[in-house]
Amino acid sequence: MDVQWEDQQKINEYSKLDNRLTDYELEIKSLNERKEDLDDLEMELELADEDDELMYKVGDCFVLLKQEEIMPRLESDKDKLSDQIASLETKQSDMSKRMEELKAYLYGKFGRDSINLERK
Amino acid sequence: MKLEFPDYRNPRGIPQAPFIDSVDDLCKDIEDASELVSELQQLFQKYQLMQAATTQRSRGLESKIPDLRKSLESVEFLMQQKSQFKTRYELNDTVYATAVVDPVDTVWLWLGANVMLEYPISEAETLLKTKLEDATSGLEKCTEDLEFLRENITTVEVNTARVINWRVTKSKHGIK
Repeated sequence: MDVQWEDQQKINEYSKLDNRLTDYELEIKSLNERKEDLDDLEMELELADEDDELMYKVGDCFVLLKQEEIMPRLESDKDKLSDQIASLETKQSDMSKRMEELKAYLYGKFGRDSINLERK
Repeated sequence: MKLEFPDYRNPRGIPQAPFIDSVDDLCKDIEDASELVSELQQLFQKYQLMQAATTQRSRGLESKIPDLRKSLESVEFLMQQKSQFKTRYELNDTVYATAVVDPVDTVWLWLGANVMLEYPISEAETLLKTKLEDATSGLEKCTEDLEFLRENITTVEVNTARVINWRVTKSKHGIK
């Protein structure tokens, strides 16, 4: 059976989304790791002496700051990360929905013997 | 033999590859499809060339973005500091020294091409923000282009395979 243009477009779209999904998964994973690091950091920081000056990294250099100055920075960094993760996850679930639609269509058209759309 | 291109171009002007619905129709008047095959192969190479160039540009932007983020972070930090603060800064690779920094209202930005310019700190912030936005949106466009190019490469590959199959079937029949 010849593949028609509309079907080829759907196959292309599926493959594009599949690639994008892999990228997003990696990005979400690395953001989550970063967030865990910040959580650990927060715990450690609570144990630190209030009057100690700690070296906090800003850009490429370390700035000596007190615990009370670091905390709000840490919170705002964490909020930014959470927002980023949430927005990526929304995109991810939208894409998964579209992929399911395409999958149903393409399997219906070509049958499971002629086309394979399972993730490795 | 000329492939007919569809009108669609993506926002950066990359043309969409033609899709051959039926090789039979396209080749009904010709004896030898090798011209068509070489035309498709040329098209394939063009797309691959664009893909290589775009990949390189996207890598460049990918490495630029974290640097811009760090610069912006530092400038924003300086803006917030209303009193003296102490820092361990990198004097050279792996060498750190301590410095006491007074509040500042200007910073120097390295613009590239051996030029460094002094900016009021809020202007520096705006400039860095704009640069970061440009780089981020540039990267998004690159990614879009790469996806579009990949789709077209697939289309051209499908076309080529079809024409070659068609030629093989035809020559078999010719022998019979």
